[in-house]
Parts: sequence; C-alpha cells; structure tokens
Amino acid sequence: MTRGPGFVAFNNATSRLIVAHLALVAVSTAMILGFIYWSVGGTVDAETKSVVEAELRGLEDGYRARGPSGLAKVIDRRIATNRDGDAVYLLSDPNGHPIAGNLRSWPLGISPDDGWVTLQLFRTDTGAEKWISAIALRLVSGDRLLVGRDVGARVAFDNTLWRALLWALFAMTTLTLVTGWMLSRLVLSRIDEVGNTAREIMTGALDRRVTLRGTGDEFDRLADTLNAMLDRNEELVTDLRMVTDSLSHDLRTPLGRLLAALERAESAEMASAERNAEIARARTEVRGLLTLLAQLMDISRAEAGIGADQFAPVDLSAMAGDLVSLYEAVAEDAGIAIRAEIAPDVTVNGHAQILAGAVTNLIENALRHGEGGREIVISVAREERSSRLSIGDHGPGIPAEQRAKVVQRFYQVDGSRQNGGAGLGLALVAAVARMHGGELVLSDNKPGLLATLTFRDQGAENGR
Amino acid sequence: MSRRILIVEDDTETQSYLVKALGEAGYVVERTASGREGLFLATGSGFDAIILDRMLPDLDGLSLLKSLRAAKIATPVIMLTAMSAIDERVRGLRSGADDYLIKPFSFAELEARLDAVLRRPSDAHEETQISCGDLEIDLISRSARRGGRTIELQQREFQMLEYLVRRKGRVVTRTMLLEGVWDYHFDPKTNVIDVHISRIRRKVDGEGETPLIKTIRGAGYMITNGA
Repeated sequence: MTRGPGFVAFNNATSRLIVAHLALVAVSTAMILGFIYWSVGGTVDAETKSVVEAELRGLEDGYRARGPSGLAKVIDRRIATNRDGDAVYLLSDPNGHPIAGNLRSWPLGISPDDGWVTLQLFRTDTGAEKWISAIALRLVSGDRLLVGRDVGARVAFDNTLWRALLWALFAMTTLTLVTGWMLSRLVLSRIDEVGNTAREIMTGALDRRVTLRGTGDEFDRLADTLNAMLDRNEELVTDLRMVTDSLSHDLRTPLGRLLAALERAESAEMASAERNAEIARARTEVRGLLTLLAQLMDISRAEAGIGADQFAPVDLSAMAGDLVSLYEAVAEDAGIAIRAEIAPDVTVNGHAQILAGAVTNLIENALRHGEGGREIVISVAREERSSRLSIGDHGPGIPAEQRAKVVQRFYQVDGSRQNGGAGLGLALVAAVARMHGGELVLSDNKPGLLATLTFRDQGAENGR
Repeated sequence: MSRRILIVEDDTETQSYLVKALGEAGYVVERTASGREGLFLATGSGFDAIILDRMLPDLDGLSLLKSLRAAKIATPVIMLTAMSAIDERVRGLRSGADDYLIKPFSFAELEARLDAVLRRPSDAHEETQISCGDLEIDLISRSARRGGRTIELQQREFQMLEYLVRRKGRVVTRTMLLEGVWDYHFDPKTNVIDVHISRIRRKVDGEGETPLIKTIRGAGYMITNGA
C-alpha cells in the first residue's frame, strides 16, 4: 500500500507510460538520424559512384587508344585539375607497381571486379593516410586501374552524426525520465489523495471528501464527481443508520409493553376480565408492530418500484372523492370538516391501491396533526403538464427547516411522537410519489401544513 | 354436514395452527405442504374451499390456481401471502382467487372470509329487495326502511348496510367492508369503519327497537334479525 517518494516504480501506469514514451522517442530519434545518415552520409552516394564508374570507363577507353603512358598523362592532369582535391587515381602494372596516380602502391584490400571498397590508404599528394572509397578495373594489358574518392570528410561527418545520435538519445532519455518522474509525482499525489480519502472513509469517517485544488482540471472534475457520490452515500448510510436505530427503538418499546402484558396475564390470581384486558393490550401492541413493519416494507417496495408493472390510468378525482367519503365521519367526530375542491376527471398513470394508500396517509396525517384547526381541504387539479393533489390542514404545521427531513423514515417533528405514528407516513408518501415519477412538496398553509403531490405527465419531457 | 377444506401451506406452524383452529370451528380439514400434491387433491375429491399459500417450494400458489381454473374447477380459493403485498393481491385475484389474505392475519378474519366464499351466491339472480328482520332494503330505489320508518342513509352508508344485510348472520370484518364498499385493500389505521358503523347503527337501531347490528369482539360486525 505504501509507496516511497523514490524513483518511478514500474508497478504504476504512469511509469509504464513513461517507459513506452521513452522507447518511442528513442526509436524515432534513431530513425530521423538514420535517415540523415542514409541520405547524406555513408562513404559515397550513388551519384558519386556513377560518376566515378563513368570516369573509370572513360579512362579505360583512353588506355585502349593511347596506351599506359597516354593514360598516365591524363591521370596526372586530372589530379592537378581536381578542384575538391578528393579524387584518387592509381594506374599500376600487373604486379601492382604504380605507373601513375596519387596512391603509393596498389592497396592490398582491393582487387579488380570487387566493386566498391572503402579502406584507409596513404595519399602521396597530401601525404596523409585517408579513408578512400574506390573501384578497380583490370585493363586489357593486365595493368590495373583504380579510381576513387577521398571520403575522409564524410567519415568525419559520420562520426559527428553518431555522436549527435548518442547525445540526442542521452539527452532525450534524461529529459523524458525527469519530466516523467515529475508528471508521475503529480498524478500519483492526486491519486493518493483520492486513495487516502477513500481509506479514511473506509475506517468510518464518512464526512471526508477529496480536496479540490480549484484548477478545474480533470482531477478536480473527478474529485467533484467522487465527492457528489460520497455525499449521496453518506446520506444513504445516515438514513439507513437512522432507520436501524429508530427501528430498534420503536420495536423495543412496544415489545417491552407486550412482554409486560403477557407476564401480567400469566399471574394465576388474575380475574378473567382483567386477563382479557391484558391480552387485548398485547394484541394492540402486536398490531402496532405489524403496521410498523408493513409500512417499512411498503416504503421499500415503493422505492424498488414493485408494482410499477401494473400501472394503469387512475382517476385521481374519483379516488379523492372516495377517500373523503371514507374519512368524513372520522373527521367530523374529531371536530374537523373535510372540504373537497376536486376538479373532475384528473387522471394519472399509476397503481390505484398504492396511490390510495399514500393519499390515506396524508389524510390521516392532516387529521392527526390538524387538530384544533377547523377544516382540512383536499384539492385535485390539472396543471399545465402535471396533475396535482393536495391536502392542507390548519394545525401547527412543520417549520420550514424540518420539511426536508420529515420525509425521511422515522423523522419526527419535535413532540409529534406523542400523537402516535412512527414517522413513516410522509416517507411512504414521498417514496410512492417518486415511484410515480412525481414528488411530494410540503409548504406553509398559513397556518398549517400543505402537502402537495405533483405527478408530471408521462412523456412531457420529450413532448414539446 | 360439515364443510371440507383443503389447506396447501408449507409453513408447518401456520399449517398446524390452521388445522387446529378450523377443526375446532367444525370444518373437516385436509392438508399438504406440496403444491403438486395440493393440485392433485384439489382436482380430485370435492372440497368446499381451498386455502392456498402463495409461496410453495415446488409449484407456487399462483400456478396451482391457474391450473385449477384451467381445469374448470371452481372450488373457492383463499390465497395467503406474506405481509403487505398489494400488487400481489391484485395478481392473485386476477388469477382466479376468490379472496386474498395477507399474513399475518387473525383467525377471525380468515373464518369470516371463508364463511363468505362458502356462501357466496352461486347464481347471481337479480334481487330487487333484501331484508333482515323488519329492516328492508330496496335495491332499485336505494332506500331502507325499518318497521314503516324510512332510514335516511348516505350513499356509502347504504352500501355498507347492503353489504352487511347480504351477509346477515355472518361476521363481516372491517377490512372486508373497506374492500367491499370502497374497493381499497389496506388495513384501516384509524377507526374509519367503526365510525361509519356507529352512524349506521344510530340510524338503523332506533330507540326501543331491537338492535340488529352487533359488534363481534376481535373480528368485526354482524347483522342479525334480532332474534
């Protein structure tokens, strides 16, 4: 896991990239210099060769016409008039003794018909040992003729070229390694930052985030995305943690009461009426627990979208009317009037039973918390691209800063636990709304709470 | 002659509980934990009703039910399923179940529903009037009278009373009323149904009259002719 600050190690992608880059640079440099060498360097180029070969044939013709002495004269004249001073000639007898030319003797390395040969020879005119490229020919009499070019300058050029190549490779390698090392440090440091953050999170510090450098570069963008994901994860984990904590609390209390009721019912001297009362109490507790679990499961199912395959057009107006008829009596007994402002024929695509369950939750919420208020209002209406169902009460309402939280499982507005309910109702409604491509919005009813379910029309996003 | 019930349920505890409770209630009970055996038994000797678990190890309840209905066997079936599966319930009813119960359920609920499916009118001849004692319900004019006195009922109250009278002498649970009258399949959390019943009761059972609507503790309600 730990990596020293030392040199580029080969176990990371950057190093491999640098090595690949290095190889590429080396090969391309070698190719460029190789091309230069091939095009300008070498011993003699093709053009020179053809010139020399033509000269050789010309001299052979001259030998045939004028004999060895005539050719010797021609050679001497050519040497004298050679401007570049690079022409090399040698006319020798069959034993290699020179007749004319600027070489001391017939070189051992060259025999006629060998083609082009390059070797170091002593030039009599300059008095120095030089690199010569030459070609030889046996003349009709058995004499031998050699014509060549002094390539000392070219050899020097070659050497320079070689040195240049080596230096270039060396410099390139060094530079590549240095820049690569720096690049790798930079990349690795950013990656290590992400890695360290991830490790810290793994140990439980869920609030850690990758630091942004404000450069807006790709690392910043990556870090930004990662942070957004971490935010969401933290939210989910916190939510889950709260659910587990609250669940164990909400289970412990009724289970404790259940245990107590059962223990009391066990006592032998209890009158049967009293025992029945205890059993009834126990049954109430069990029902409450079952309701709690059923609600939790409903939320999970809604969140998983189970039942979405049975979506069909649901008459929201009719449903609201039905539910008003169901709850009217209860509300009246609680001293609350239910007023319905229901536009006809408002439909949404959805699951009638699940939607009805959600609306029921809102009505029961309004009845429970809207006490003291004179009425609750249920309204159903068509908006431009959506359908809306809202329920408003005139109870104490929910403070603005808590509205986002009450849709979480088990969240309770301070003091509302006494009014019954486990704090799952609004979470269920919100989950059902999301399942139907809608949302639950809580707002101030001035006074009281206004819960609005908005269902966007399907296909409204692309149907312009 | 006592009714014969087939229980197809793989959970041994639920199975033995049902066998015991139904036996005590006077039913003759046969049981199996296997879906295939259940299908074999159901197609064979005449049962009056089948209690069928949705989840079975070999052949699941829904497939069993479909095979049964495909074989033109119309024995009433009550499906049992795990907690809180509204869409499952719809699927089950569509596959030909006569009723659907969500586990865990009270035995009173099962008994009431079993009673209901067993006595479900086989041929739905059009009735225009039903009665219970001196309570008369006119289904054409949708009005109710008791001993010459007209009872003013709201639409839902009328439907609830009709539901009760059609099942007179039998227990009707709150959930059954909610399903039968409103067509919603959730357990009412508040006492919505009780409040409606108490209103109907105030209107039906006037002062000095014999109370017709009885509360059955731990189960629901029942209307009787007062005898």
